[in-house]
Amino acid sequence: MINVKNFEMVTPGTLLSDEENGRNGTYSEGKNVYSKYFGMVQVNERGVSVSPVTSNYFPEEGDEVIGRVVEAGSKYWVVDIDAPYLVRLDNRDVNFRTEMGELDRFMSRGDLIFARVATVYVNNAADLSMKGTKYFKLPSNMIVKVDPTKLPRLIGKEGAMISLIKQETNCDIIVGQNGVVWIDGKDEDRAAAISAIEFIDENYFNPELTDSVRELLKNVREKT
Amino acid sequence: MYEKRLDNRGFDELRPMEAETGVVPNAKGSARFRIGNTEAIAAVYGPEEVKPKHFEKFDRGIIMCKYDMLPFSVPDRAKPGFDRRDTEISQVITNALSRAIRLEEMPRSMITVRVYVTQADAGTRCASLTAASMACADAGLPMRDLVAAVAAGYIGGSVCLDLTKDEEDLHDEGATDVPIAFLPSKDEIVLLQLDGKVGHEELNEVIKMGKIGAMKIYELEKEALRRRVSNES
Repeated sequence: MINVKNFEMVTPGTLLSDEENGRNGTYSEGKNVYSKYFGMVQVNERGVSVSPVTSNYFPEEGDEVIGRVVEAGSKYWVVDIDAPYLVRLDNRDVNFRTEMGELDRFMSRGDLIFARVATVYVNNAADLSMKGTKYFKLPSNMIVKVDPTKLPRLIGKEGAMISLIKQETNCDIIVGQNGVVWIDGKDEDRAAAISAIEFIDENYFNPELTDSVRELLKNVREKT
Repeated sequence: MYEKRLDNRGFDELRPMEAETGVVPNAKGSARFRIGNTEAIAAVYGPEEVKPKHFEKFDRGIIMCKYDMLPFSVPDRAKPGFDRRDTEISQVITNALSRAIRLEEMPRSMITVRVYVTQADAGTRCASLTAASMACADAGLPMRDLVAAVAAGYIGGSVCLDLTKDEEDLHDEGATDVPIAFLPSKDEIVLLQLDGKVGHEELNEVIKMGKIGAMKIYELEKEALRRRVSNES
């Protein structure tokens, strides 16, 4: 018996069903499934899930994130990826060879990097890795933060939304799964991209988001 | 005998309430809760790294609540800073909230909850707890349930709900104040304090009365949280 309708807003502790079919954002006590977050219910044949309205980023293995180096140690970098704690990037997990004690020649405090969460330990400590051609040090320093729960809207179906923004503004954009978005381009292009991203952050529930973003970008372009 | 309440309310009637979320833009989540002349504002920050480091738990998160009464909240000026009463209430709020939040899902992190009482007219710890739980839900923390807290009492042979300061001070009638906090959908009590004198059976009735009030507050909390989303749309 499922107690809720699809797309209903629920608060924590709402009884969702008694069929042990809870998925993301739910917890069960006995057979009963309760909501864990304040968020929207999604019901399908596989079960009930709740997607929260606001969320906090906790690293998971395989996430591709954007982080800021806060410290270069003798054998590892300490990176802030917007999780509750800092994570480490070992000097063996990068594409280039490093000598002990001179890591800040390659990446120093304040640099942005695009990396992958390699391992997450039981106590939620995590290690990053930059092995592979995909990952690199980001050349400029412009980032915007978006709530991780809104990232699907920012990216859109098969990347439709993000490629629209890229096309319209001629910016390079990388979206980290921790909600950090890196933007590179000319100053006015960046400003346009940021306004679009902030618009999505505020209006993520709007069903015709793509059209409104297209219109917004057109208006911004005409002004400049 | 206490047959008619000082402010002409029914014995099972709450003072007019108001709830709102998202009042502190810089916080991760925030809420304001007003009941009668009592008002509390709560702000939630985190989860973030634990500081001081020795409080860190390797298998679960910790929660730190700070309750503070602002100087202008009471008729006599309250001294700024934490006094003994503030520390006690901070502790009972922390205990109640750590039953409501699923801390085991965020090991090694800390959640900071700050509660400020802007107006006090009895029942501040209940109002604070209610505001704090709404703020936690607003911040997107994994929770078992919201907390609904209300003070019930026993004055001169009758069970009352949501006492005011004037009623609490009816010492000649043997006024007893019982703040209770529930996890409403779990039917669990997370806070129960008693200030005064009351018999066994009467206490059971007081708790029953508190539960009726808590359910009403729970409905208001849910409505306030939902309104936050519909406002945005």
